[in-house]
Amino acid sequence: MPPPPQTVSALRSLLAVRFPERPRRPCGGVAAAVRPIDEALGGGLPAGRLTELVSAVPSGGGQTVVARLLEATQAARQRMALIDGADGFAPEAVPAWMLRHLVWVRCRAPEEAFAAADILVRDGNYAAVVLDLRGCAERALRRSPACAWYRLQRAAEGAAAAVLVQTTRPLVPAVPWRLVLDAPLSLADAGAPRDAVADRLAVRTERSHAPAAGLLAG
Amino acid sequence: MNYAVLCAPDFALHSLRRSDPGLRGRAVALVEGDGRKARVAGASPEARGVAPGLAAALAMSRCPGIILRQRDPAAEAEAHRLLVAAAFTLAPRVESTRAGCCTVDLRGADPARTEALMRLLAAELAGAGLPARMGAGATPLLASYAARCAEPVLVVRDPVGFLAPLPLAFAGPTPEQEGILRGWGIGTLGGLTALPKAEVGRRLGAEGVLLWERAAGEATRVLRLVEPARSFAAEWAYEPPVESIEPLFFKLRRFAERIALELRGAGFVAERLSLTLLLEDGGDRRREFRLPEPGADVDGWLRVLGGHLDTVRTDARVAGVRLVAAPARPQEKQDGLFDTGLRDPASFWENIARIAAIVGEDRVGTPAPLDTHRPDAFVLERPAETVAPPAQAPVHPPLGPTLRRFRPPWPVRVVCSAGAPCRLEGGRLGGEVRAALGPWRSAGDWWKPQAWAVETWQVEMAAGGVYQLACADGGWCVEGMLD
Repeated sequence: MPPPPQTVSALRSLLAVRFPERPRRPCGGVAAAVRPIDEALGGGLPAGRLTELVSAVPSGGGQTVVARLLEATQAARQRMALIDGADGFAPEAVPAWMLRHLVWVRCRAPEEAFAAADILVRDGNYAAVVLDLRGCAERALRRSPACAWYRLQRAAEGAAAAVLVQTTRPLVPAVPWRLVLDAPLSLADAGAPRDAVADRLAVRTERSHAPAAGLLAG
Repeated sequence: MNYAVLCAPDFALHSLRRSDPGLRGRAVALVEGDGRKARVAGASPEARGVAPGLAAALAMSRCPGIILRQRDPAAEAEAHRLLVAAAFTLAPRVESTRAGCCTVDLRGADPARTEALMRLLAAELAGAGLPARMGAGATPLLASYAARCAEPVLVVRDPVGFLAPLPLAFAGPTPEQEGILRGWGIGTLGGLTALPKAEVGRRLGAEGVLLWERAAGEATRVLRLVEPARSFAAEWAYEPPVESIEPLFFKLRRFAERIALELRGAGFVAERLSLTLLLEDGGDRRREFRLPEPGADVDGWLRVLGGHLDTVRTDARVAGVRLVAAPARPQEKQDGLFDTGLRDPASFWENIARIAAIVGEDRVGTPAPLDTHRPDAFVLERPAETVAPPAQAPVHPPLGPTLRRFRPPWPVRVVCSAGAPCRLEGGRLGGEVRAALGPWRSAGDWWKPQAWAVETWQVEMAAGGVYQLACADGGWCVEGMLD
């Protein structure tokens, strides 16, 4: 047998030769139908990856993103799951026909949300899974171990769904894409069409590990 | 039936036997220690008269022809991966408790289906050379007791009746506690739990209370979950190198059994196999097979691999073998031209049931607004099998930011000026109002006792944020945020 590798790079090369699994690059995704987000992500939410959307200010537009994603997935006849950590989704805020493809999980605590996400992300029937942790008690979120996030990321990597995590502060360690909504909407937006409101959202890219172009080509 | 424990008795011995074709049907003993100190740690049923603790020399004299072997860490690691892979086919939350033992969180799984699955799995593991016992119960501890008593599967439905006759040793008392309890005439778990817990605590202290809880099967714990397999590969180094096909084929069957279980547990099938023979001279022979039909059928894989091995000739002996399966999603159902139904209906409904067990039956489903203007009126329906085509563009498209509700609403005191809110005072939201829109008044069910009327405002706070206020029965609350 060959001698064991002496350096980390040699070990990596050896592992790559011995376990030639398919490269796990995102090969598709779901357009969020929110122009600033789709542009920041190079086409849409990448499949098989976590994307964190931080609502850094009140009325930053996070729920409008969910509503637009609902419309986009319904238009593409795909299925979407919303894991609602603080039970904040308002069905009457979107037209009824936009809800028929949605599976809504109304959680009472982040632990329930993580357990549900762990199951739904592995399910091959969803194009998009939204884990909304806004409104969850800060103390409960702090109790969530980092390994729960790593577990979710590993689960997402083996799955076909695009996973969007909504938070109020950066929470997901080593997340490939983190976008921040840091300008609040105003009452003047109340009369504007929702797609126009969504396209005016102020989105800042805080972290991006993306080969951005052509993400949705696969 | 919240937890299951999969436990392989005589794990080290079975791991060894399943890794070496030469040990099949032979009297084998596992020994620990060297030379004269070597003792038997476990023996196969064929080794008559040999029991754990016996000196190795004595075992050889009692059972002529017995094969004495040391533990094999590589074989044990491979067997444990098989057990973990089997556990993942029951549920996705699995703990690798110790070598030869796994605990599975079954909450949300269908009990009848899971029990049937456990029986099939026990037969499958026995066929793979690793007989396992499986127990299920309300707590991990109860499930582990059940696994110790199972032949091969035991589901505890009546914990009191099940625990009562079990010997006290199941609860792991210290020698001192055991001596005291024997003095009291107590030798079973039922005998101990028949005593009041508080009285046991007064006499045996906090340790006594813990012992009582273990005896009642109540003690619970958080599982240390492990990740399911991500690469579906196996490798073995032969010592000494081999020259014939039989040991290769034997090992490939073991690999295939484990990899097929790992793929099943992760919801995949194999679409390609890659076989590499590592040669003694440092070279290798690699061959990739595209399977005629993606699947996890071990016999089908072996037919493909066997056909290739029959024709292989190498210049040097084979020092190792490696098998890698390329995973793919099973196409359980072909989508129709005008149909976007479920790709994997069984997994979809099973997962919905699992989530319902976590959050509650009434908290998962597809929301359907009720035919009323009453705020927050909806029901959760069973999700549809197919996604309907999009409706025509609505005459009145949705306007403005989307409401995000606070459930329950936040009570707030509202100071009005000229009939409109100008300042909010409350525990969670307070401050000056920069602008306000409203009121929108709605009422309904006035002909019923549960008549309702509500006045709604949208306010933009000076500190930022747009909120929706509601006034009903003279009291104000913040219904949610326009986000």
